[in-house]
Amino acid sequence: MSFLIPAAGLLGLLAVPIVLLYMLRLRRRETEVSSTYLWSQVLRDHEANAPWQRLRRSLLLLLQLLVVGLLVLALMRPFILTPTVTTGRTVILLDASASMNATDALPSRWEAAQREALDIVDALSPTDSVTVIRAAAVPEVLASASSDPALLRSVILDAEPSQGPADWPAALTLAAGGAAGAENFSVVLISDGGLPANLPAIPGSLRYVPIGHSGENAGITALSARARAGQPPQVFIELTNFGDQDVETILSIKLDGELDRAARMTIPARSAAVSFFTDLQTGFTTLEAGLTPASTSRVPDYLAVDDTAWAVYNAPGAGRVLLMTPGNIYLRQALTSLPDLEAYEGRLQDGLPTDQRFDLYVLDSWLPEDGVLPDGDLLIINPPADTDLFVRAGISVATGNPRVRRDDPRTQYLNFNNVNVLDFTVLEGVAWAEPLVTVDGGPLVLAGEEGGRQVAIITFDLHDSDLPLQIAWPVLLANLMQWYTPARAVSQEALPIGGTLALTPSFEADAVRVTRPDGRTTTLRVGEGPLIYADTTLPGLYTVDTYAGAELLQSELFAVNLFDRAESLIRPVGRLTIGADEVGEAGREEIGQRELWVLLALLALAALSVEWAVYWRRMRLPRPAAPARAAPRPAAMRPGRWWAPRRR
Amino acid sequence: MTDDRLFDEKTLRKLEQLALQAHQVRAGAIKGERRSTRRGTSIEFADYRNYSKGDDLRRVDWNIFARLERPFVKLLEEEEDLAVHLLLDASASMDWPRAAAGDLAAGEAAHKFTFARRLLAGLAYISLTGGDRLMISALGSRGQAWGPARGRARILDMLNSVAAFAASGETDLNAALRDYALRGGRPGLCLLISDFYSPSGYEEGLKALQARGHEIGVIHVLSPDEVNPPLTGDLRLVDVETSAGQDVTVDAAMRDLYRRRLRAWQEEISAFCRGHTIHYASVETSVPWEEVILYQLRGLGVVR
Repeated sequence: MSFLIPAAGLLGLLAVPIVLLYMLRLRRRETEVSSTYLWSQVLRDHEANAPWQRLRRSLLLLLQLLVVGLLVLALMRPFILTPTVTTGRTVILLDASASMNATDALPSRWEAAQREALDIVDALSPTDSVTVIRAAAVPEVLASASSDPALLRSVILDAEPSQGPADWPAALTLAAGGAAGAENFSVVLISDGGLPANLPAIPGSLRYVPIGHSGENAGITALSARARAGQPPQVFIELTNFGDQDVETILSIKLDGELDRAARMTIPARSAAVSFFTDLQTGFTTLEAGLTPASTSRVPDYLAVDDTAWAVYNAPGAGRVLLMTPGNIYLRQALTSLPDLEAYEGRLQDGLPTDQRFDLYVLDSWLPEDGVLPDGDLLIINPPADTDLFVRAGISVATGNPRVRRDDPRTQYLNFNNVNVLDFTVLEGVAWAEPLVTVDGGPLVLAGEEGGRQVAIITFDLHDSDLPLQIAWPVLLANLMQWYTPARAVSQEALPIGGTLALTPSFEADAVRVTRPDGRTTTLRVGEGPLIYADTTLPGLYTVDTYAGAELLQSELFAVNLFDRAESLIRPVGRLTIGADEVGEAGREEIGQRELWVLLALLALAALSVEWAVYWRRMRLPRPAAPARAAPRPAAMRPGRWWAPRRR
Repeated sequence: MTDDRLFDEKTLRKLEQLALQAHQVRAGAIKGERRSTRRGTSIEFADYRNYSKGDDLRRVDWNIFARLERPFVKLLEEEEDLAVHLLLDASASMDWPRAAAGDLAAGEAAHKFTFARRLLAGLAYISLTGGDRLMISALGSRGQAWGPARGRARILDMLNSVAAFAASGETDLNAALRDYALRGGRPGLCLLISDFYSPSGYEEGLKALQARGHEIGVIHVLSPDEVNPPLTGDLRLVDVETSAGQDVTVDAAMRDLYRRRLRAWQEEISAFCRGHTIHYASVETSVPWEEVILYQLRGLGVVR
């Protein structure tokens, strides 16, 4: 054992004042007693046991000297030499990817990795420094070039593994950043392997401390629920056994949290099994698939993160459409044959219904008499009068040379070359709309957003054209209906862990709140930067609520799953290739210093506690005794009997 | 200390029912109110015996003589008075605890001398009510004493005198008891109230009293803080009686040692008394004094 600060031993002189104080402490307090008769006898008895008593008396002094001795020893910073993985300037790369949650190393690979890291920190010389990097989806520097073992221990112990993959190139680049100007630089990679190929080379020496010993894991590697027109949804599940033994497992499916079915299946070693379900009931929103090892299975499943997967199923949205027409068979037929539409027809003489609201109003050769357009999306055909949206400027017959706007979803697959139109109304004041189909005299079809609603206008009477007889008619209507479909805030219903989601709330929304599976919420304000949500570190179902003020407009869901074969494949890797180097398991080849002051300080604390207890035990006053009673009354003198009159 | 503070009405009534009792009855100088083991001249019949020459002819039972034609003398019970000596240790150690001295009204007045005076006055009251010949003597430097006296008429005077007793100075219990034995007059029931803090001992004194023919009762009075001393730390204990100092470091072990020593000491006194047919009662001042008379002394047979 050697000392880092031997000079601190001079503090041992503190024992001198303690001894002096102890001698001074014996100045006695004068106290009167009724008699010293008994005390002097007690002291005579006491003297008989003198050697033991003297020892007892000096026990406090001995304990105090022991405390000082231990503290001085601790301040001298004693250490012993111990073999370690690395010394000098070190970067510890802690693999925090999902596979580190595996429990083949007890209690988990992550805690085994923490222990390895703490071992390195404990053997740190005062001149060494350690940087700790947690390698997750976004690598994180937990401590930068620190020599403070307490700080390093706390950051290592406080870190937690992630549930997703790790970005190794970024983590290695971050680690290499610490190499500048360092002589004895090394990177210690504490990981279970599973690193991608073609990683960049890093300066300094690389040590690899492998974690884990088993590859037994089965997980869900794919899950999707697909809507099919007019048919039940189709669910696809892929289960993969990454281990070396066949696995017997139970696949359970929950719809909206209720168990729908469970099936026992055997997945052969190192292969995948695929399940299709086409007979699920409709009307569910969320689907949770879970994998549980069968009770008869002897093969463990060490990784739990990939045993559950979620999917969100959106039934095709149904829109309510109101048709106001003097009689148009083409429109009626087209609207009733289009999927996902609920079409209603109003009576012209009654005007627009005021008690119901529709998503889309189709006004064919008719406009409300008061000129007030309904509050909703509009498809106006052959407008008979002026409105707030446009002014009619006359009739044009120049219908030749039709041109269809390109690169617009509303005109996808639309061909107007064979369409003949007799004449059309020329509109003015329609700068808000984009012309979709234009002829020489002006636009035939326009569409755009105005006043918060989507409006499309067909400027000719369908009866004065052969459009309804052409293939272009259903194509045009279908494209427009697609466009009218209300906007969804969630653009993707399935994301990988760590994935980002661009949110597209409807125009009236001013805030979007995302709730994680663990209940944590994030509120994004519309108009304050891009609406991108990236806090997808947990697998599970996320809720997206769109608000206008306090009013909830829309509530949607999306699912986040691991679905990462590299993480599910937990078989530990013995050798790694980084740059051109291949590294194997690092041995404890270097000599580190293990300091003992913490142990000594704890011992000093224990000795101090004993001293305190001894002092108080000695100085504690007895509890005041209950008032003494006279001797118990003889039986003959119980109340009522001892008043026997005096006998004379 | 006033009379009504010493006794309340209820206690008085209880005390009136009691009488002091000596088992080894001593000859009374005058006729008293208690039955003697001797045959005497009272009107209570005791026994017959054969007439012998010189007997008073007035005491021959002529009815028996007429029937049996032999003379028998009628023996009658003798009634006599009892000499009661109440001795109170008035050394400075009895004036303890100091803080409680002035607080006589306090219900738990644990002051030893006050407690002892009350006990003494109670016993004296019983004695005077019982028609005994009473002598009270405070053993101390001042030589305070009262009596001898008889009869209820002296009760008030007795109470005033006892109230005036004070504890001070050093008392050698042995010497004081021996001295009392020499000059103490007619032997009788002798009750000693003391804390027995007497370095020279008490044995010789008690033996001297006994040799004089007294029947002795000892009431050993201790205050609660003497039984369980509330002391701790490095102390110099000063004896209030002798002003002698004693260095001692008091801790839990030391207190324990003290308590064991105290018990052994009480046991020593008790054993001595048992060996010499002396009544012994150990009393803590936290116990009401009338309970001591009503229960403890009755238990011992000193009071009935």
